[in-house]
Amino acid sequence: MIEVENLGKTYVEEPVVRDLSFFVPEGQVLGFLGPNGAGKTTVMRMLTAFLPPTTGRVVVAGVDLDQDPVGLRRNVGYLPENVPLYPEMRVNEFLRFRADVEEVPRGEVHARIEDVVERCLIGDVRRQVIGTLSKGFRQRVGLAGALIHQPPVLILDEPTVGLDPNQIIKVRELITELGQDHTVLLSTHILPEVEQVCERVFIIDRGRVVADGTPEALRNKLVGNPSLAVELKGANGSARTALEALPGVVTISDRGEGRYLLEHAAGSDPREAVFRMAVERGWVLLALTPQQASLEDVFVRLTTREDELAPAAAEEVHDA
Amino acid sequence: MRKVWAIIRRELIAYFSSPLAYIVMTAFLLMQGYIFYLIVSFLNNPQTPAMTPLRLFFGGTIFFWLFLLFVVPVITMRLIAEERRSGTIEVLLTSPVTEAQVIVGKFAAAMAFYAALWLPTALYVVVLRRHSEIDIGPVLAGYLGVFLLGFFFLAVGTFCSTLTNNQLIAAIIAFAAMVALFSIGLVEQLMMSSSVIKSALGQMNLWTQMDDFAKGIVDTRHVIYQLSGGLLFLFLAAKSLEVKKWR
Repeated sequence: MIEVENLGKTYVEEPVVRDLSFFVPEGQVLGFLGPNGAGKTTVMRMLTAFLPPTTGRVVVAGVDLDQDPVGLRRNVGYLPENVPLYPEMRVNEFLRFRADVEEVPRGEVHARIEDVVERCLIGDVRRQVIGTLSKGFRQRVGLAGALIHQPPVLILDEPTVGLDPNQIIKVRELITELGQDHTVLLSTHILPEVEQVCERVFIIDRGRVVADGTPEALRNKLVGNPSLAVELKGANGSARTALEALPGVVTISDRGEGRYLLEHAAGSDPREAVFRMAVERGWVLLALTPQQASLEDVFVRLTTREDELAPAAAEEVHDA
Repeated sequence: MRKVWAIIRRELIAYFSSPLAYIVMTAFLLMQGYIFYLIVSFLNNPQTPAMTPLRLFFGGTIFFWLFLLFVVPVITMRLIAEERRSGTIEVLLTSPVTEAQVIVGKFAAAMAFYAALWLPTALYVVVLRRHSEIDIGPVLAGYLGVFLLGFFFLAVGTFCSTLTNNQLIAAIIAFAAMVALFSIGLVEQLMMSSSVIKSALGQMNLWTQMDDFAKGIVDTRHVIYQLSGGLLFLFLAAKSLEVKKWR
């Protein structure tokens, strides 16, 4: 649905996006990640034919950006960062305007407005002036505007920024629902969001791809061995050595007050052994929790500039 | 066409939902009312030299020009600058709309607002006709002059609005540009010797052009100068939007 080949953008001799290539198949929800200034917004602006690329090729829904930028815009619904809207217009007026500008056939305008109003749950504010709406409603009005012409591709730039937790959940639900019949490219730097909403994650840094894969694959590839947090009561100093000797355990770190972190080989599960050992030795087992490395760890490892390991690790994932 | 129409309608909603529109209209009508009062007192004075009183109305007083030079930047400053400031330009130019359509729509809305300013003054003509003989020809020519001047100046203002994302700066640039265009005539008068340059500048004197229209002279040179000037700035506006759409 979205094909990008060797895309590059240079502003006044300063490359912002360098040689970016990726492909998003139809129906995928892609999380587009990167630290601030990584070039996410610039890439999105090129995918929506707002900015001309310096080099490379962009094809969205079969339309080549070079040959038909206006045609490409027809296939894309775009919600820019901070959701720019016209504050003086009423929601109804705004949607009508968007429908006209997006070439929704005249006969369908009414039905399309009804549809997006219902989808985005903005029925209650239809007659309100946009400037008086809360941030959450504004976000949904913006999304409704981007959906009005039923574009096959949706590009959303940080759609949940500045919302309260309830609103974030609602917007995420909406995006998940939209992902069922749209190809979605979603930029964010909120990582739990990616885990919940996206099938695939794409991380860029300084205009380059540093990782590409499913959230699980990225975690597994990068974080290495799984680990287990253990908390014991009544254990003495021997606990550490005893735990370390259990099959599958690779290393152990003592976190004080009876808390240990066991790193074990992938595929092994020492939980049962830990439990039996505790029973045998009369320790009280307070906690036994498998630790899942978060995508945050992955992100930090990949995009921290001081981290010399990052490029190597990234290549490893990218090959996979 | 439908897209252009949608942009015009949106722009008119924006004009009439801001207090600025009403302030401008009120001030404009106050000024025109005062000029009308001047005309009537002229007509009442038997010593008035034989001249068309409505000449005063169309550009015959400095009020007309002062007001025009202030009002046009106020009408046009918002057009593109505000879209750029708020980022809505990004939404607009990622829908299947060309830069030219955006400029044409916005400019047409500004023209419509300008026409709405002038519309109530038609009443003065109606009132005067009931009490005095009025030659309708110069009146129509005067309105044509007002329209053409508006076309030219609003196009300049639209172009200036594409140059910045700050409305105030857009207004100031537009004001300066219009003063420059207006003072071409003054420069001509200051020049001593007659030369090709002097006569060329004389042709571009907007005050005398407007005066001709008010006298009922529709000189095609004036029409072409103002129309082509307007079109040039509209073209520049579309190009400038294409180049400068990113912040």
